[in-house]
Amino acid sequence: MEKYPNKMTVCDVSVHYGDKRALGGVSLDIPENQIIALIGASGCGKSTFLRCLNRMNDEISGCRVAGEILLDEQNIYAQNVDPVLMRARVGMVFQKPNPFPKSIFDNIAFGPRIHEITQSEAELKDIVHSALERVGMIDEVKNRLGDSAIGLSSGQQQRICIARAVAIAPEGVLMDEPCSALDPIATAKIEGLIEALAADYTIVIVTHSMQQAARISQRSAFFHLGELIEVDGTSKIFTSPNDPRTENYITGRFG
Amino acid sequence: MRPRSLLRYYGQNAVIWTFIPAFFFLIVCAFLSSILLEQYFLGLIAEAYPDADTANRDLLFAQMENVALGVLSTEDGVLQSLATDYAEFGNTIQRARGWLVILLSLSLAGFAYLKAMPQFRARESVEKVLGGLFLSSATIAILITVAIVASLLLEALRFFDVYPLWDFLTGLHWSPNIAVHADQVGFSGSFGMIPVLGGTLLITLIAMAVSVPVGLLSAIYMSEFAHPKLRNFFKPTLEILAGIPTVVYGFFAALTAAPFFRSIGLSLGLDVSSESALAAGAVMGVMIIPFISSLSDDVIRAVPRSLRDAALGLGATRSEMVIKVLLPAAFPGLVGAFLLAISRAIGETMIVVMAVGTAANLTFNPLESVTTVTVQIVGLLTGDTVFDSPKTLSAFALGIMLFVMTLGLNVAALTLSRRIAEKYE
Amino acid sequence: METKISPRYTDMITRSLKRRHRKETCLRFFGLTSILFGLAFLVILLGNIANNGLSALLQTYVELEVTVPDSALLDAEGKVSEEVAFDTNWDGLVKKGLRAKFPDASGMRERRALDQLVSANAGFDFKTRILHNPELLNQPLTVWFKTSDEVDQYVKGNMNVSVDESQRRLSDQQLAWIDELAASGLLERRFNTSFFTQADSREPESAGILGAAMGSAMAILVMLVLTLPLAVMSAIYLEYFAKPGRVTDFIEVNINNLAAVPSIVFGLLGLAVFLNFFQMPRSAPLVGGMVLSLMTLPTIIIASRAAIRAVPSSIRDAALGLGASNMQAALDHVLPMAMPGVLTGTIIGVAQALGESAPLLMIGMVAFIVDVPTTVTDPATVMPVQIFIWSNSAERAFYEKASLAILFLVLFLIVMNLTAVLLRRHFERHH
Repeated sequence: MEKYPNKMTVCDVSVHYGDKRALGGVSLDIPENQIIALIGASGCGKSTFLRCLNRMNDEISGCRVAGEILLDEQNIYAQNVDPVLMRARVGMVFQKPNPFPKSIFDNIAFGPRIHEITQSEAELKDIVHSALERVGMIDEVKNRLGDSAIGLSSGQQQRICIARAVAIAPEGVLMDEPCSALDPIATAKIEGLIEALAADYTIVIVTHSMQQAARISQRSAFFHLGELIEVDGTSKIFTSPNDPRTENYITGRFG
Repeated sequence: MRPRSLLRYYGQNAVIWTFIPAFFFLIVCAFLSSILLEQYFLGLIAEAYPDADTANRDLLFAQMENVALGVLSTEDGVLQSLATDYAEFGNTIQRARGWLVILLSLSLAGFAYLKAMPQFRARESVEKVLGGLFLSSATIAILITVAIVASLLLEALRFFDVYPLWDFLTGLHWSPNIAVHADQVGFSGSFGMIPVLGGTLLITLIAMAVSVPVGLLSAIYMSEFAHPKLRNFFKPTLEILAGIPTVVYGFFAALTAAPFFRSIGLSLGLDVSSESALAAGAVMGVMIIPFISSLSDDVIRAVPRSLRDAALGLGATRSEMVIKVLLPAAFPGLVGAFLLAISRAIGETMIVVMAVGTAANLTFNPLESVTTVTVQIVGLLTGDTVFDSPKTLSAFALGIMLFVMTLGLNVAALTLSRRIAEKYE
Repeated sequence: METKISPRYTDMITRSLKRRHRKETCLRFFGLTSILFGLAFLVILLGNIANNGLSALLQTYVELEVTVPDSALLDAEGKVSEEVAFDTNWDGLVKKGLRAKFPDASGMRERRALDQLVSANAGFDFKTRILHNPELLNQPLTVWFKTSDEVDQYVKGNMNVSVDESQRRLSDQQLAWIDELAASGLLERRFNTSFFTQADSREPESAGILGAAMGSAMAILVMLVLTLPLAVMSAIYLEYFAKPGRVTDFIEVNINNLAAVPSIVFGLLGLAVFLNFFQMPRSAPLVGGMVLSLMTLPTIIIASRAAIRAVPSSIRDAALGLGASNMQAALDHVLPMAMPGVLTGTIIGVAQALGESAPLLMIGMVAFIVDVPTTVTDPATVMPVQIFIWSNSAERAFYEKASLAILFLVLFLIVMNLTAVLLRRHFERHH
């Protein structure tokens, strides 16, 4: 297996909601331009962990994060770091497709507009077009960019959401079970898209489907009851895991 | 044989048969007999006093009633004898009615007793009656609406008999102080509602100018920025404002706010009326703040969490999320809330009754005194006036205008809020 | 597909951030300011009213020496007689006591000015007192009499005496007398008991809120008796028996709309239907209660429906599963669990009705009534309308009375609303 440099390094991160511990002592390397899958039973803390990586947990009141997460050697939980910038650098795609109730164009232009990436309409149009190209939708929607994104199928909506995230050229993209609300055909399309995106972006994907993890990720991390049990190459995890709990989960004895 | 229902249902059934029909009978009887009695005696009065007109006959009837009750004594022998008859008739009818009711109730009780056989399905019977009772209470809401429309419309139509509808709707002059009797000079009442409507709209506009920004910003702050603990303090405290009776706001507007605005105006060299639209409107605006903030809060919170996440996940600041995502998504609901608030401001009575005048000026200067629909209704109906004069009837014409305006706004608001509920379900 | 790496915008974003955070601070600031504006108004409103009203708890009294002769109360046979007492000039006795303090006052005008210092009702109050204590006859008494409202206001410092004599209600001579009385310790501020034991009066110093409070209580009682059963029955019907369809929809729209109809429209309805058509008595708490019940019915129906809907459907299913009829499930199992919610809604409805005045003006509850009502058909007024009446009066003392009445009303309403909130929290926790 090739060795990639680490884009993000997680050191001993734990998360509390109020007095309840949701995640404890997670340490993990996230290599650049690779896909890492977080697997585990529901409620095991994998989504909570994902939301730590771009400080989305800040938005949940009563949620406290301890430990360090380095993005390019810089602790994103340091005092002087702006969470807004972190979220621009590490984008996020959610479980349920959540396009804004606006036109397709406005959805994708949302990021570039708020971040004031360009002042010229022409350039904005270019950005939107290349984002749509990136997700392979340009031919489907180029004649109806003004239509509401709500009218699209959910597979298309999810791809719009991915295009919306990549329009501001983030360094990483976090995906929280992006296919769980989709049918198999749409899922296949999105999976292909994710693999293609890995060339340019570091991707962390939470999935409840082991097949999906096996299909697209290079590395897998198994979470169980708020702890990281094991992280290794995906093929290693799925064929000869070190920890019996991982094996139990993989073989379907629980979860 | 085992009874088909629990024993208590047989008892309930008997109670229903014994009391409910008798109760309704009593009400109908009381109503009918008083009407018949009145008609009969009005007839007698007409015979005894051939030259009395309708109004006089009514007066005589009222006098006779009071004599019969012993509140009044009279020298008039005819009236005295009529009153004696009236009292006697009344007593007889009352006694007969009492016996009839007792008879009815006893015979129905007997009927229920005979029916209480084991094979009788008492529960079904009781439930049928209860079901009917429930249905009729639910239809009361419709009944009230019908009663409002009918009573307002009937009186308003009597007004439009003497005053043309078109003049009422488009007239620019409102001065309802007309002579009560036609033979008095100066029968010149003029009922053009435009200045009254203009005043209402002006005050509503001022109230909305205060309450919409303040209420909306409060709602945004509470739902998106405030710490939960702070929110738990702010929200109920602000809602105290909504629980304060309107008469208190009126008191404050008339005795504190109006002089305050006037003295500020004087120091700026402006002539502010002591009954200025500004004072009433501003205080009304404060009254509506909690109304707008709690409705907007509901609407904003109804926007799905996933849209907030989407915006924040793209690196939007909270204010960008609020302004570019939440508010546009909540827009129809917010408009609905504002419409309800407008409807409230238009129908608000005590603040304006206490803080603005009754003179109808057609002006859009908030420093002047204006009048409103509700002020006029109160003014026209609380004085000592003959009920049937155009002056009092015009209050009902204004009342129906008020009802129609608020109904339109309420229905529009309801439709909008239903639409937004469907959108996110 | 040839992949094109978009340029990374980190620097541009970093540059824009400062300005964007400033905007954020702006919005936060305006939001907080708005809330504080609302709270500040609340403090100013209540503070202002408390500041004006609390002084009405005290009333200025003047100490005079009076001797009541036997002939004022006893008839020829030496028995206490109300008729004799009725004919006695009690005001004269009080005035004599006052004139004894200022023997220099001479001439009709000056004497009348002097008489104006004591309450116009002082004689009447005195009569009542002596009637109940005939042993006080025929001996020199030291009695504390209520002063007139002008004296009271002056003593409390509510009168601007710097203006010209003709612009105020007390002349310079009267002020001099008052100062003299105060200097010799004959003026005292005492707790104003009659504010809580009497109804309205033309004289501010005798006016009280008991009449209005009783009127309110009666009207609310009538309202509750009429509204509560109706509201609960229609809520049960709409939640449990109504089949979805046009009729049910229409009923719902009606209820929602009625909840937003201006209250004065209900007053017009009451005037046209209850007073003019059914010839019910004007100004009666009975009619007031009926009008208020029309007005609060939608509120309580909506609250009751929400309470019934909040009962888990498993309760109903369990009852139905055991063979209970729909009606039994609703009345015996769901309704008891929904009762706390219904109660909360009712408290809110009562609070709303208690503060309502506009529709009651329409049915004549705005009359001047000096007797405390004893039945629901007696003419009466209610607390908010009493406040309205007093605040329309010219005397400064009525303004003070209105403020105090507001304080009591608002305090009572806040307590009611708090009860509703606490009740709701309590039951939410237990469900």
